Amino acid sequence: MLPARRTDPAQDQALQAVLDRLTGGSPDRPDTPDAWVTAVRRLPACSAEYAPFPDALDERLRAVLVARGIAQLYTHQARAIEHALGRRNVVITTPTASGKTLCYNAPVLNAILRDPSTRALYLFPTKALAQDQLAGLHGMSDQLSTRNDTEISVSTYDGDTPQDARRAIRGRAHVVLSNPDMVHSGVLPHHPRWAKLFENLRYVVIDELHAYRGVFGSHLANVLRRLRRVCRHYGSNPVFICSSATIANPRELAESLVEQPFELVSESGAPRGEKFFLFVNPPVVNQQLGIRRSYLAETRRVASEFLKRRLQVIVFAQSRLATEILTTYLKDDFDGPPGTNEQIRGYRGGYLPQRRREIERGLREGSVRAVVSTNALELGIDIGALDISVMAGYPGTIAGTWQRAGRAGRRTARSAAVLVASSAPIDQFVVRNPSYFFDASPERALINPDNLHILVDHVKCAAFELPFGTSETYGRQDVQEVLAVLAESGFVHRAAGPGGSEGQWQWTNESYPADAVSLRSISSDNFVVVDTTHGADVIGETSFNSGPATLHEKAIYIVEGSLYQVERLDFEGRKACVRQIDCDYYTDAITYTKVTVLETFQTGSGIGDRGSGIGDPGSGGSGCSDPGSRIPDPGLRSHGEVHVSSRVVGFKKIKFYTNENVGSGELDLPEQQMHTTAFWLTVPRTVMGALPYASDDRRDGIVGLSFAMRHIAQLLLMCDRQDIGISIGSGELGDDPDMTRGGQPTTVSDEPRIFVYDNYPGGIGFSEPLFGMHAELLSRTRELIAGCDCMHGCPTCVGPVGNTGPLAKVVALRILDLILAGAAAFARSAPASLAGAERRREIPELQA
Amino acid sequence: MTTLAERLRGVVGPAQAGPHGSETPDDRGGRLSASAEASAGPRRSAEREGGQPAHVDAVAETLGGEWRDVRGHRYLVVNRTYAPGYRHGHVAVMDALPPWPRFHLIAGAEAAALHAAHPRPLLFLDLETTGLAGGAGTYAFLIGLAWFDGAVFRTRQFFLSNYTAERALLEGAAGDAASAGAVVTYNGKSFDLPLIETRFVLHRMATPFGALPHVDMLHPARRLWRPDEEAVPGGCCLTMLEETLCGHRRDGDVPAFEIPSRYFQYVHTGDARPLAGVFEHNRLDLLALALITAHASQLLDEGPTAAQTAREALGLGRLYERAGMTVQASGCYTRALELPGEVPVKADALRSYAVLSRRARRFQDAAAAWRRVLELRRCPPAIAREAMEALAVHHEHRARDLREARRFALQSLQFNITVSRQRAVQHRLARLNRRLGAPIAMPLF
Repeated sequence: MLPARRTDPAQDQALQAVLDRLTGGSPDRPDTPDAWVTAVRRLPACSAEYAPFPDALDERLRAVLVARGIAQLYTHQARAIEHALGRRNVVITTPTASGKTLCYNAPVLNAILRDPSTRALYLFPTKALAQDQLAGLHGMSDQLSTRNDTEISVSTYDGDTPQDARRAIRGRAHVVLSNPDMVHSGVLPHHPRWAKLFENLRYVVIDELHAYRGVFGSHLANVLRRLRRVCRHYGSNPVFICSSATIANPRELAESLVEQPFELVSESGAPRGEKFFLFVNPPVVNQQLGIRRSYLAETRRVASEFLKRRLQVIVFAQSRLATEILTTYLKDDFDGPPGTNEQIRGYRGGYLPQRRREIERGLREGSVRAVVSTNALELGIDIGALDISVMAGYPGTIAGTWQRAGRAGRRTARSAAVLVASSAPIDQFVVRNPSYFFDASPERALINPDNLHILVDHVKCAAFELPFGTSETYGRQDVQEVLAVLAESGFVHRAAGPGGSEGQWQWTNESYPADAVSLRSISSDNFVVVDTTHGADVIGETSFNSGPATLHEKAIYIVEGSLYQVERLDFEGRKACVRQIDCDYYTDAITYTKVTVLETFQTGSGIGDRGSGIGDPGSGGSGCSDPGSRIPDPGLRSHGEVHVSSRVVGFKKIKFYTNENVGSGELDLPEQQMHTTAFWLTVPRTVMGALPYASDDRRDGIVGLSFAMRHIAQLLLMCDRQDIGISIGSGELGDDPDMTRGGQPTTVSDEPRIFVYDNYPGGIGFSEPLFGMHAELLSRTRELIAGCDCMHGCPTCVGPVGNTGPLAKVVALRILDLILAGAAAFARSAPASLAGAERRREIPELQA
Repeated sequence: MTTLAERLRGVVGPAQAGPHGSETPDDRGGRLSASAEASAGPRRSAEREGGQPAHVDAVAETLGGEWRDVRGHRYLVVNRTYAPGYRHGHVAVMDALPPWPRFHLIAGAEAAALHAAHPRPLLFLDLETTGLAGGAGTYAFLIGLAWFDGAVFRTRQFFLSNYTAERALLEGAAGDAASAGAVVTYNGKSFDLPLIETRFVLHRMATPFGALPHVDMLHPARRLWRPDEEAVPGGCCLTMLEETLCGHRRDGDVPAFEIPSRYFQYVHTGDARPLAGVFEHNRLDLLALALITAHASQLLDEGPTAAQTAREALGLGRLYERAGMTVQASGCYTRALELPGEVPVKADALRSYAVLSRRARRFQDAAAAWRRVLELRRCPPAIAREAMEALAVHHEHRARDLREARRFALQSLQFNITVSRQRAVQHRLARLNRRLGAPIAMPLF
């Protein structure tokens, strides 16, 4: 709870003036998808709701809070603290700057005051966040220490902690601030050194919970399984306090990460000033090709409007390069002559800590008027509250967008957030369908802690830390079977207990398994990039899976705006030698991917039913349709286990700015294979047969449909672009027809399948939710394609015309319409008992 | 349909051949080829253990030990006694017997604690572990303890034949440690003691070693016997000392890097024969440790004349000097000059002698020693520079020969020295020139 800044009437007027200029003076107007500003929303102000300190809170702590200007708590703080004091796990989701840290600091400090042997562990996704929190916590603990003559020791413990300080921290620190990677490789494997912490661990705090989705989240869930296992060994049972940005399923995420029940506190009691949210779409400059004005130029224009009127602005860019470009633009426009105070600053990972602290301080004090940042400032670094947040490009998720928008917003004054869309399909979908963003719930964060690759790695680490009992459980898979397989490879051995009692799996390997497991990826195998321009410097690395596509010979590799060309890819040695060059194009690999269905977990005919588990990969989609009947076939949706083999067969050279194709090359690289999970749509024979187009055009329609579907799937799954892959094929064994034309099929079968697969070995849990969201996937894909301004397809909907052919857009829409009509008809004809009641509700929406 | 086990095998993959892959025990290839057999694999090994087959007793026989049974947990204890006449190279056990009145001088900081513990026996400790990685998954499968008992030397090895017996085994070892006055290791400060203490903490037991004075013989051994770096790369290992001090050369000794995989092989197959060599290796390490500890103590007892090499005399002098026995220390440094040794060692001995002499206000002795340093050919530059500086000081303040003082000061500037040193020397030169009446602006190199 910081003291609220005074409302400055001049600032308020300035904000009003810019808003009037941008919106034409009417803030409460209907959405206009084709205009420059497509939507304006006014979010009303909220007043504060207070609650008294919980009775259980120590007097000494209350006194320090009062001395810091906190005479009472916001309602959400009081509720969260009560849960934590009552030893109930709690997850808190309230907006940025609503006083979340007090929700966990209060119960932790309270417990330490009551019993000085108490220990707490805080986990942050980055080291910088831990440092930032350390400063705040130090203030509180110092005041408590001096007033009460008790030493409360707070310390970070991460890769930067000096060796000679580590022993003292292990023994003495009451609160240890760390990150999952350090706990995984530095703390848990050495738990006897941390015995004091584990014996007395009362609270574990996980901040920025929403950061732990996908692979990272699946790893963290396993690190927490190991943590709880070690705690059990030392006789402790900590309470978990988590805080999260707004996501659809905070409680579900917390419960799947910690595997214990959680209380949810989501109603914020913090006050909030009135806020405006605007969507800006750069105007179309080439109708034919669907090319819009540069969104960076548009961002510059919008930010300038606010800066001119002396409002404090944060600009979020999507990449380091865009950050630097926008910083340069705004400095040109607004910074004074050299030597004067820098009012416009850039901020991103890679800047030295000291420089970052200086910028953060400048923002808090107001001497920095604008900062251009990557997502580095999206997380909870303390920069105070600014007037305006401008986003250059859609951040990719609803949750992330709200988080960035939340960087602007004083407790009492008015503020605004502006989203400037790029021409990427997702951006265009969002700005043209504002209600998707404003009315829908944010994304679900998904994890799959039982992904076999991740699980096996952590079972090894856990077996290293403490022997598994022969009846012990771990996760949802049968860990005894995992151990039995590890025993076959000599990692563990089953030692019998005396007289047939419980035995133990002993670790029988010389290695230190945590070293081989990186929490940020599935496989620690990677390619390193070596710059041979002057000597041999490692300038980057890339995962094993994406290595061939980004580091093939003659590929252009870009680091912070510098261009390098790959001279040699040493596939066995896992390294690429690059040399700096100066050129005006980049490269795009052509990858041929083939998906083979290994096992179908679930198949649903149409959209309305719940699906049934059938294990029959071979049978086509005709099972549910009667060829003689007039009811259109809704197609089959399925999910299951697949084998994906991919090979980079060539590359295109693409000119910067104009995106012209200026050349190509062929490549011969080894095939990469993986087992993973996939969702797939089988387009029925009847639909394909009913299309009044030539076979090439039908193929283009399928290719275009898959192009658009990929983006919607990414949107629905709250994942990154590289998290999923897409492929078209029969899904059956055997050679598919020649697929080398731009990585896409030259023909498609009578009953093609579109696969959306998890781009990680073993799958990361996207396929089953996508199966469940099938209806939304199709209807949103249709909205994306139908809503696009272009004539024959563009990179925003079904892909550029040059790639997909002139009729792709029309055919793709026709296919979707036929499938959706089939689904509706199927739902009407099917008896109610067959179609799941709650799924049926989605169908009228689809017809709309 | 793939079973979980089949999918797991795909994930786990063939075991990475470790650095000693050939030792990897099981017949993986055969199991992977036929899935029916594969699923039977783990069960088969479980039956083998449950049924207490015959070879369990063969373990005791192979390793020459006896089982101890604690609450149903069995571990093996192997006792050996080395009679007074037992010879290890040219050293007999009876030659090495305590008491060693000056042993505590070895320990430096812990000397007082050691002295206080004196009547209780010294416990020699050496572990054989499942690796060097550290962390909770690295454990000692063999705890080797040894002590002198009257006129004999006894070793007792605690062998973790079944992992579930670790707690019982640690209790057993702790029982023996309880009566000890101090523990002696070789490199135990950074390896053996932290590792075994970790095991006690992991089992949430009190560690018996925490309160015991500890002497890590690695450090005094390096002082006394570190070989010339160029002659013996790899430094000062126990087997090297055993060779040079006792004249014992091990035959067919198990190399240290092979030890973990031999243990894993035993765990997976139950065949203890590959471990016999490991047990012998551990016993030889304990014996060698005791003998070099005795040797160092005897040197301290006998004084300077006992030293056989310049290095040994120098190291011995250091031990005396640290204990405040300056007469013996000076004697050692002088002795070092008479014994065979490398120039750097002799230079160091002269330097140490000079420093001790100056402290005892025997300035002429000190100056003589510094001069001898400068007479040495290929003297380490740092020591030569120190000698010139010391001689400059000596001539300025003691001998009052300012010209000689200036000569040494000027000479000392020819070495690469730090800026602050250089400034001090030039300051001295300026003062000397002033006192000599020479022109101030005299060029200085």
